[in-house]
Amino acid sequence: MSWFFKSWSSNKKNREYPAFWREYLARFDQKIPKNTPIEEVRFVVFDTETTGLNVKEDQILSIGAVEVIGSNIAIQNSFERFVHQSFTPIASNIEIHEILPDAASESQSEEAAIKDFLEYIGNSVLVGHHVGFDVAIVNQSLQSMGTFKLKNKSLDTGLLAKRVQVPPYPDKYALDDLCDQYGIEQHDRHNAAGDAYLTAILFLKLLGRLRKRGVQTYGELMKGM
Amino acid sequence: MSSTISNRIYDYLKDFPPFNLLSREALEAVVQGVNLQYRQPDEVIFRQGDEPLPFIYMVKEGAVNLIREEQDLTGVIEQCDEGDLFGLRPLLANEPYALTAKVVEESLVYAISIENIQQLLEDHPKVAFFMAKNFAGNARVSASESFKGKIFLDNDHLIDARFRLVEIQSLDKSKAPVTCAEDMSIEAAAKIMAQQNVGSIIVVNDDFFPLGIITDKDLRRKIATGLVDRSQNVRAIMSSPVITAPAGVTVADVQIKMIKNNIHHICLTADGTPDSKVVGVLSEHDLLVIQANNPAVLIRSANRARTGAHLREIRDRAEELLRKYLYQEVAISFISDIMTEINDALIRRSIELALAQMEEEGYHKPQQDFCWLAMGSEGREEQLLRTDQDNALIYEDVAEGDEDMVKSYYLKLSEKITHLLNECGFEYCPGDMMASNPNWCMSFSDWKAQFSTWMGAPSPKAVMMTTIFFDYRPIYGKESLATDLTAHIFEAISEQEVFLGFLAKDALKNPPPLTFFRNIMVERSGEHKNEFDIKGRAMMPLADAARVLILSKKVGQVNNTFKRFEKLAELEPKNSELYEQAADAYEILMRYRALQGLKHSDSGRYFKPSELSKMERINLRNSFQPISELQSLLNMRFQLAYFS
Repeated sequence: MSWFFKSWSSNKKNREYPAFWREYLARFDQKIPKNTPIEEVRFVVFDTETTGLNVKEDQILSIGAVEVIGSNIAIQNSFERFVHQSFTPIASNIEIHEILPDAASESQSEEAAIKDFLEYIGNSVLVGHHVGFDVAIVNQSLQSMGTFKLKNKSLDTGLLAKRVQVPPYPDKYALDDLCDQYGIEQHDRHNAAGDAYLTAILFLKLLGRLRKRGVQTYGELMKGM
Repeated sequence: MSSTISNRIYDYLKDFPPFNLLSREALEAVVQGVNLQYRQPDEVIFRQGDEPLPFIYMVKEGAVNLIREEQDLTGVIEQCDEGDLFGLRPLLANEPYALTAKVVEESLVYAISIENIQQLLEDHPKVAFFMAKNFAGNARVSASESFKGKIFLDNDHLIDARFRLVEIQSLDKSKAPVTCAEDMSIEAAAKIMAQQNVGSIIVVNDDFFPLGIITDKDLRRKIATGLVDRSQNVRAIMSSPVITAPAGVTVADVQIKMIKNNIHHICLTADGTPDSKVVGVLSEHDLLVIQANNPAVLIRSANRARTGAHLREIRDRAEELLRKYLYQEVAISFISDIMTEINDALIRRSIELALAQMEEEGYHKPQQDFCWLAMGSEGREEQLLRTDQDNALIYEDVAEGDEDMVKSYYLKLSEKITHLLNECGFEYCPGDMMASNPNWCMSFSDWKAQFSTWMGAPSPKAVMMTTIFFDYRPIYGKESLATDLTAHIFEAISEQEVFLGFLAKDALKNPPPLTFFRNIMVERSGEHKNEFDIKGRAMMPLADAARVLILSKKVGQVNNTFKRFEKLAELEPKNSELYEQAADAYEILMRYRALQGLKHSDSGRYFKPSELSKMERINLRNSFQPISELQSLLNMRFQLAYFS
């Protein structure tokens, strides 16, 4: 009886969810084995720009991402979407991000941007600076589209930086501080793709240091994160 | 693709050559193929001998060493830092890497897809020139301050090449070290020396660090004399500490160290101190061997040669030197200077030997002095491989009546000189344009008259004669005869402006050798059917254009084609870009011709375009572009449209 229930419920799932979500879920049929060398794992380093910092109320203005495989970032495989929002965002945030709702001429609907993003990330490991917020805001958006939360594993470069540090620990883990500390020249700050690119370089530098300490596999990297 | 990120890459690349030469669209296409790579210290990006990767590299941040690995020795050729390009070989030829690229400090490098660049080379001759020239002159492409915004190498880089040469020479020749352990007996060490047939042995500890050295001299002085017993430990007679130097040391450094310490052996170690592994040993004798193929030594031996066969042997050795220079991609201007010096020394020695033979055979040298002229490519200081002889002789004017006697002496002398040169490997000129021909061995007044005739009524043949003659250079004898003749020619030219028109017209006889479909034009018939005539089709049109333009500026002394173009660039700033391109094109053509010649043991004049790599073919084709621009410039300047 239980096997019957299982297959029935998965059938139901497949029937009811939108096609893009079914395709996305299908990519998770196989887990990434823990002993996979880090060089073979596909990481997607991403960042979102939003109307504010409240996950429940604020909305996505843009998503930027780059793919990191084996210490390599292929510029051609980078990702950037601007989202058209119908309301007027709060003035204070426009000053920071310099994205006006209609200024980004290539903007699209939030739903289309999220669909593209899911297709882009697949089952890769998501990486971001304070990635929890970015994952939450994407999840919020997914929920309004009638689906569930992101299934990807994620890694926070802020936490990773703390893990790499030796005492005495500095008390600042903002992206700006870490860029200064690791000699990363800052450009295009507060632009989703620009921040994603900087975060990816930071990620590569942190990975390099961890690897020197003997962290070789996916499992070892994710341990305790 | 994210436009924010690709714009970031674009903004970075656009400031560095050769990308600063590209249009926005062209550079955007390059950016599509860029990868940003993170590299850790000691990581090898590619190794010498590895098959080419589909990328060229630029350092974004950090440093990468280019290393030459020879047997047990390695030497850093160059260090690349921010903005430097490296790993260009896959662009030029489908050959394994000649150097290893190893990361020095944590680095970010751009790996730029070859596919995206190759199309660029086809469309942007300037970029192809830049790549080829830099690939040729240097292991890396520097983005140093003096270089920014410029697309041509300057003399600083030439000097670099010379230093590099010395370094590589020392690396080539130092032998694998012969060593013994510190607990050995003197007898055992001496047996190893005898077995290996060496004059010295390095005593090393367990880590292979040098402790001391024992030489033949120690064995003679301390063992053979009975001072020390041969059953004793090697420590009893070794000299310690050992004087060490790093593997990449220059010949000059080793010489100074030897003189300073009054020693005859230098031990090479990994980091240059006695606290690292022994990697080689250099003796005074090794230094002599290294320098045997040094140009100065070749010239000195030429001055002492006794026979034509001996001269030939020296010229053969010079060819080995040439081969080495070409493969090490040394600047052509440096190579041609060296080869010209050697050729000149061989010609001078041939003349000295011929004069001595005349004396021996009882011919008395007339009181009228003479001057020997080199013409053609030797006259232009650009003969890398031995080609046919082109030479002439001027002697001082003779009182009526003695003319026959003097002329027959110089003809006889010339016959001996050309014979010796032929033995040396410079073949007789098929057109008989040699001093042994009575028409090419004349008194000063006769030469003047000859020029006046040629220039007064220019026929195609006369024009050809003068083109050969305008490239002459005095090699031996009374130089004023040559300079006075030059003065006469310039005077005649200013009276006969129209003559330059004839020369200019002659320079147009070979249009750029491209077919309608922009393929390289090959010979349609004859012995060299389907081969490309690099001399006739590509080099002569440039040499001819350079000659007529430099004559119109009344500049003597500069004979070399690319130096003529450089001089023209200086004299005519508004056309400097074209002239500089032409100079570059000529250097590339000289290099390709010499390489083909070495490959086929001939003059390199004819070859099948299919033998070249894609990059070489593109470069060859791009070198035709200045030909067509120069020819339209000649057309305008000398109003050749009205010339019949």
